[in-house]
Amino acid sequence: MASSFEPNIVAFVCNWCTYTGADLAGTSRISMAPNVRIIRLPCTGRIDTLFILKALERGADGIIVSGCHPADCHYTAGNYHARRRFAIFRDLMEFVGIDPHRVTFSWVSASEGGKWAEVVDRTTERVRRLGPFRTYPRLARGAGE
Amino acid sequence: MQELRDLARRLLRENQVNVILGYECARRGVRPAFITEAADCDRLVFDHRCVHNLAAYLSPRRTHVRALGRPAVVIKACDARAVAGLIRESQIEREETVLIGVRCGGVVLDPADSSPLSSGNIAPRCSACDQREPALFDHLVGEPKGAPAGEASRDARLSEIEAMNPEERLGLWIGLLGRCTRCHACRQICPMCFCERCIADKTQPAWIETSPHSRGNFAWHLTRALHLAGRCVDCGECERACPARIPLGLLSRKAARSVASRYGYVVTDDPAIPTPIGSFQFDDGQEFIA
Amino acid sequence: MSRIGVFICHCGENIGRTVDCVRVAHNLENVPGVVHSIDYKYMCSDPGQALIKQAIRELQLDGVVVGACSPHMHEKTFRKAAAAAGLNPYLCEMANLREHCSWIHEDRERATDKAIGLARFMVEKIKYNRPLATIRIPVERRALVIGGGIAGIQAALDIADGGREVILVEKEPSIGGHMSQLSETFPTLDCSQCILTPRMVEVAQHPNIQLLAYSEVESVEGYIGNFQVKIRRKARSVDEIKCNGCGECQKNCPNQKIPGEFDRGLGMRTAIYVPFPQAVPNIPVIDRAKCAFYRGKAKGVKKAVCGKCAEVCGPKAIDFDQQDSFVTEEVGAIVVATGYQLYSIGKAQESETLRGYGEYGYGAIPDVIDGLQFERLASASGPTGGKILRPSDGKEPKTIVFLQCIGSRDRAKGIEYCSKICCMYVAKHAILYHHKVDHGRAIVFYLDIRAGGKGYDEFVRRAIEESHALYLRGRVSRLFRNGDTICVHGVDTLSGEPVAIDADMVVLATAMRAQPDIASLAQKLSISYDRHGFLNEAHPKLRPVETNTAGVYLAGACQSPRDIPDSVAMASAAAAKVLGLFSNELLEREPLIARVDQLACTGCFHCERVCPYGAIERKQLKDGKGRVIKIVAEVNQGVCQGCGTCQATCPSKSVELEGFTDEQVYAAVNAL
Repeated sequence: MASSFEPNIVAFVCNWCTYTGADLAGTSRISMAPNVRIIRLPCTGRIDTLFILKALERGADGIIVSGCHPADCHYTAGNYHARRRFAIFRDLMEFVGIDPHRVTFSWVSASEGGKWAEVVDRTTERVRRLGPFRTYPRLARGAGE
Repeated sequence: MQELRDLARRLLRENQVNVILGYECARRGVRPAFITEAADCDRLVFDHRCVHNLAAYLSPRRTHVRALGRPAVVIKACDARAVAGLIRESQIEREETVLIGVRCGGVVLDPADSSPLSSGNIAPRCSACDQREPALFDHLVGEPKGAPAGEASRDARLSEIEAMNPEERLGLWIGLLGRCTRCHACRQICPMCFCERCIADKTQPAWIETSPHSRGNFAWHLTRALHLAGRCVDCGECERACPARIPLGLLSRKAARSVASRYGYVVTDDPAIPTPIGSFQFDDGQEFIA
Repeated sequence: MSRIGVFICHCGENIGRTVDCVRVAHNLENVPGVVHSIDYKYMCSDPGQALIKQAIRELQLDGVVVGACSPHMHEKTFRKAAAAAGLNPYLCEMANLREHCSWIHEDRERATDKAIGLARFMVEKIKYNRPLATIRIPVERRALVIGGGIAGIQAALDIADGGREVILVEKEPSIGGHMSQLSETFPTLDCSQCILTPRMVEVAQHPNIQLLAYSEVESVEGYIGNFQVKIRRKARSVDEIKCNGCGECQKNCPNQKIPGEFDRGLGMRTAIYVPFPQAVPNIPVIDRAKCAFYRGKAKGVKKAVCGKCAEVCGPKAIDFDQQDSFVTEEVGAIVVATGYQLYSIGKAQESETLRGYGEYGYGAIPDVIDGLQFERLASASGPTGGKILRPSDGKEPKTIVFLQCIGSRDRAKGIEYCSKICCMYVAKHAILYHHKVDHGRAIVFYLDIRAGGKGYDEFVRRAIEESHALYLRGRVSRLFRNGDTICVHGVDTLSGEPVAIDADMVVLATAMRAQPDIASLAQKLSISYDRHGFLNEAHPKLRPVETNTAGVYLAGACQSPRDIPDSVAMASAAAAKVLGLFSNELLEREPLIARVDQLACTGCFHCERVCPYGAIERKQLKDGKGRVIKIVAEVNQGVCQGCGTCQATCPSKSVELEGFTDEQVYAAVNAL
């Protein structure tokens, strides 16, 4: 059953590194899983933890958050601030039982088209194994209680 | 006690302040007092029942307290951390507030509990506390106190939950947060929750679902814990205020554990030390980033 | 209420081969708010753009989503087309169906489903797009150049020649920088002073240049087009206006024995001094630490201990009571040309991670000198009048050893980069030595010869073939004094033989390093620097003279080790950027910046702490009677670069980034 399951994954990526890296994967015709849809933001600094919660709520089975490597941020420091925010949020998520394996954080530069494809494929595979994440969206119906 | 009353009287008489935020005896136990007349200063008390974090009343959100004028506030060591937070985050001016530090040997869990302080009734945060007096104050009163009773293993439950598997943890929290009615008492009493319009009340867009089901409650309490990471002063007021008896301190203490282990950050009463979210080091850990 | 048009591009076969564009267009047609949805072979072609324009006009579209290639490719194209049809360009968005879909997937069904999903994201997002107007900022068309070495001089002259005012700030008493210390320059061997001095004089006389020597930048406020720079004018103890540069003060100063910085300690100067005879401005400065007057005063002696300079000064320019003063200048652009320092090889190591080269005896053996000291010996205006003489006994060295890569390319000692200029100047030294010392023997220890550049390799060949320098590939392990000579122990790695040479003099080609106080300047300017302290360019290839702070440019060795031609080229490039910026009175920029909801803002200023640009300002909100209700955040439109870190950090979401607002992201996520 798990193998036929096609996870729904949203990627929040920064415009300058990862989005451009994903463009490069395209121009290099690197094949990857079609499960990931990208939402473009200027910087990882703009990526709010609320986006992650809302995406899970809307039925995403997995999330990717990706941006510029340390020291490469187009805006000099957005990724450093994001890194702290995500680190603490990830600890909290894990603590309340939301499996952190559903959320991939990565640094993918504009020149790492291949790495982007790997992140997409690895995340898709991992989330496929974890199965659909229905528990969280269903909490609204009291299904979990 | 007399020392505190005399000081309060002098501050009011000399017009140094317009109101004293302190504690007084109530029908059961003690309650916060707002004293504006020098003659009323004898009502002031301070003992192990003075649980409340009065720093919450300094927040500009409390317009009714602001309207009373320039305040002097009675603060324990834990409350001083909240005052420092309010200064750090530009909510109050250090010069505009007189801080009456009190020496404290721990408080009980319930302000209505009049029995002597013991390892049975002490607030868990106090048994682990090693700060007998604040470092941030204008006046310091009270007799030196000994270390409080009880054992310093309050985070055992935290570690226990950390050791569970994800499903068990999710099940536990679905159970706990399912009880939340979104009365927001935790937010109202929190000295560090001072936003004019809380994210939970923002509806365009409504990131946090407003209805009290577990999903919205997860988003709310996770977001609140994140906002309090490196800011929570561990005064325990949210747990005390929660009518559903949800152990909310677990979430904020988990965040505190996270910033402590990752960034070596511990909340102090020094307003000059920046919060961990909002600052960074180039070599911050990133073991979770691929 | 929305009237959205969706335009799906086949991109020839590029998208159409794997994505069923017809199905995508049909599917989107049924999304609420979409009133028009079509597919076309080439949307970016003229007929394709015409379709979009026509639909905007005829159907009164209030939003356009183009499903085509990456927005990095054609966002500008389609926004322009939308604007041409009367739609605000920021109401046009692109869904990336090519790079992010058709090119990376094979399964037509799934690729089509994904394409529908991507287009849906944008349709939902665009419902919350707002028309935005380009921001126009007035530009103060004057420039500040920091650093008066060859890079700063060149940038200042180019900008000034372009008809704009320049303020040139130099921290030393004279401009000229390291280049003024050099004897000859590679690869042409023209005299450094001869080509530099006229340019220094030109700076002093240029009507558009205001030279502030012996001054430092104290603080920088503002943003591109509108910087306010506070400059500290350090006290010279000499009135710059009264002084006529006659030099009587120097002649009469009783303290004549101070090792001069300009001559790298090989020559002496006085306590009141001009660093070198051709200095610009030609105005002396009193070294207060060495001057008897100030020393006496510091000891509390009531009566003036000395005052000779003041006595002999005709125009009465000596001002012992002079204090540092400050000037504030408004400028629109800043060129940073602060240059470099040399690797400290002496005994006194700075802390840091750098480890010195104690084994080479610099500072302990007087005839072990560094490259810049050799320049002073070789310079006609230097302490020896251009003769190569040993500092210890004034004898001419008959055997001289040059060691390359001292500090550079040595991870163990703390620097892994190549200093770039040393190979060339060592070759130059070998040639100069050959010219100046009859039957002298020059030996060079090198790791590699890096002589990329016009005429560079020929120049090194000349050192080897015509000046008979002996090049040995390898490192020297140890130097020690052996009576009158210096014993040099090394290895020739090509032959594998150990080498021992009795040298009369050893010259160390030390690494170029970033200026020691660069972090403080970088912070004032909000620009970044690498771990070695070299300032970061905005893009290593495509934007080499810009920084990530708009309006701040780089020139010369402050960015990385550079030789003179590179520094000059970079300075001219920076000047061209500045003149380009100054070509318009108003600066136009994209309106995708943050804006604060001041009613909701609580004024906790987390945004201020995370803003990489210092764009958050504090603003008092007042009631009708002028009483302050609260202090809230406000975004400076000129400074904000639109990263949005403020918004993600704001606990109450009271700040919004235009183009990527919470409502827009929320709508897209909701389309899942």
